[in-house]
Amino acid sequence: MSELNSFGEVLSYAISLEHTLQTYYTNAGNLARAKEAERRKIKLERTRRENVLEITLEPIEGLNANDFPLNLEDISDEGQRMIEEAAARFYAAAAPKINVLQAQRDLERVGKQHEALAGT
Amino acid sequence: MVRTLKNYIGGQWVDADTSESIAVCNPATNEVLAQCPESTASDVDCAVKAAQDAFEEWRSTPVMSRAQYMYRFKTLLEERFEDLAKMVVMENGKTIDEARGEVRRGIESIDFATGVPFMMRSDGLEDVSSGIDETTLRQPAGVFAAITPFHFPMMVPMWFLPTAIVCGNTFIMKPSPQTPITTELVFELLAELDLPEGVVNLVHGGITASKAIMEHPGITGVSFVGSSPVAKIVYETCTKHGKRVQAQGGAKNYIAVMPDANMEASVKNIMGAAFGCAGQRCLAAAVAVGVGDAYDAMKAELVTYAKNLRVGYGLDGKSQMGTVISQDAKARIERMITRGVEQGAELMLDGRGAQVEGYGEGAFVGPTILADVTPDMTVVTDEIFGPVLSLMRADSLDEAVTLINQSRYGNAASIFTSNGKHAREFKYRVKAGNIGINIGVAAPSASFPFGGQKESFYGDLHGQGSDSIEFYTERKIVIERWT
Repeated sequence: MSELNSFGEVLSYAISLEHTLQTYYTNAGNLARAKEAERRKIKLERTRRENVLEITLEPIEGLNANDFPLNLEDISDEGQRMIEEAAARFYAAAAPKINVLQAQRDLERVGKQHEALAGT
Repeated sequence: MVRTLKNYIGGQWVDADTSESIAVCNPATNEVLAQCPESTASDVDCAVKAAQDAFEEWRSTPVMSRAQYMYRFKTLLEERFEDLAKMVVMENGKTIDEARGEVRRGIESIDFATGVPFMMRSDGLEDVSSGIDETTLRQPAGVFAAITPFHFPMMVPMWFLPTAIVCGNTFIMKPSPQTPITTELVFELLAELDLPEGVVNLVHGGITASKAIMEHPGITGVSFVGSSPVAKIVYETCTKHGKRVQAQGGAKNYIAVMPDANMEASVKNIMGAAFGCAGQRCLAAAVAVGVGDAYDAMKAELVTYAKNLRVGYGLDGKSQMGTVISQDAKARIERMITRGVEQGAELMLDGRGAQVEGYGEGAFVGPTILADVTPDMTVVTDEIFGPVLSLMRADSLDEAVTLINQSRYGNAASIFTSNGKHAREFKYRVKAGNIGINIGVAAPSASFPFGGQKESFYGDLHGQGSDSIEFYTERKIVIERWT
């Protein structure tokens, strides 16, 4: 069960996703993209740290990590494109569920970067 | 072998002068994390002497230099953010998100304290009489202390210590014996700042240490956060011993839901207000008053949402509600729920006997909703400090305001409405220190004063914001003539 039911769970999943992508691109020999993933991970760690608003924490519904599968075995160009597309879909689904505007904007920005990388 | 915590006095970690201690338990696992020493009057006296010895040098340290320590302190706290949040979860029982939120708010108080050089400035006037000028000076007042509670072990100490020391005072912290390890971690970071010895001091303990602080002639003022009966004792004892005091007490916070409110958004927010931190916060929503048609809709929605809340260990990121502080607290809360049912409340959702797989010894109380409560029931008159939300019906906003104002407490009250007139009437008439409009937890940010009214607060100056500058400084008027 990979339900993402809170602010922290969503941000932690996003951080873990970027870390996974950093490793994936390192293995694929695409060090520029690995570096970009690391930057996004650091940005999202800061977002989680600085935008958790204790007085407005509310349960999150309808977001499941299993809906955004990644095929990490495929390091081909098409494989990389598919991974970026999955990441972009995750951020597009996650951002509107976050009720802290700044954190929502950060997720949207990261999602747009993935969209661009996916060429969508 | 479980370690016994040490006090931090005069820049050194030292053993308390006692063999007595209190077990600090993880409320989810019942694991003993440490032993908290029952420091004595002699330990407090050592801390006061260290703080007094440090005072003259510290007060004459330029205010900008004093503020610089806070920038470095903030950096260290950011670096250890996750460690602090995890420790809050381990000794308090709240969820990791709630703990992160608490640490963030604690750091906000340090941000505020960096502004003390601006806020300590005073005013003056030339020629109040012919050739005579008059100026106000603000000066540090001496040694201050804080006695802080278990429910926000990182945030509440930060309401006091940073502003107090940047104002030029020296400080003694006595955290709750139920959650002292977070404060110890904070002091480990303070120790890294290389502050002059004695500027900040940590004394662990319970009633004995608290009493010694309240009665010690070397302490100028005391800040306290806790229950109302204890806040009253702290206020009376401190004032009897010539101290200034700000004593924040308990609460019974009401939320009024109007028929014109966005019900879905309101209910989601009320959920967080009632069950966040397992209801263990002085701004928790305790009573939701549905006005007119709002009552039935609110009741149905709240039960639907609350029964799906996932209760569990706070370090499991999927948990949406953690434990209460102890098995004793769990037993007390469950007794109050039972009493409410005996007095005629309708039990819509029963959190008694909540079990979490893998945490059989955890102090879990599930979200509880009692409907059709009346003002005379103990679940309405007494603070529960647990995840229990009572629902009341009112025919009009006027009746809702009357119900709220009947409470002996006055910490916070909120209204959910889409009508500006209702909102204005509410904030104008309700007797509470903090008013929320479409927000269930009316918690002032660090730059605003925080304190209640009626039995929720004893003292004059609230914590945080401009009140804290007033509290931690002495004013002096200088009248000059040079002609």
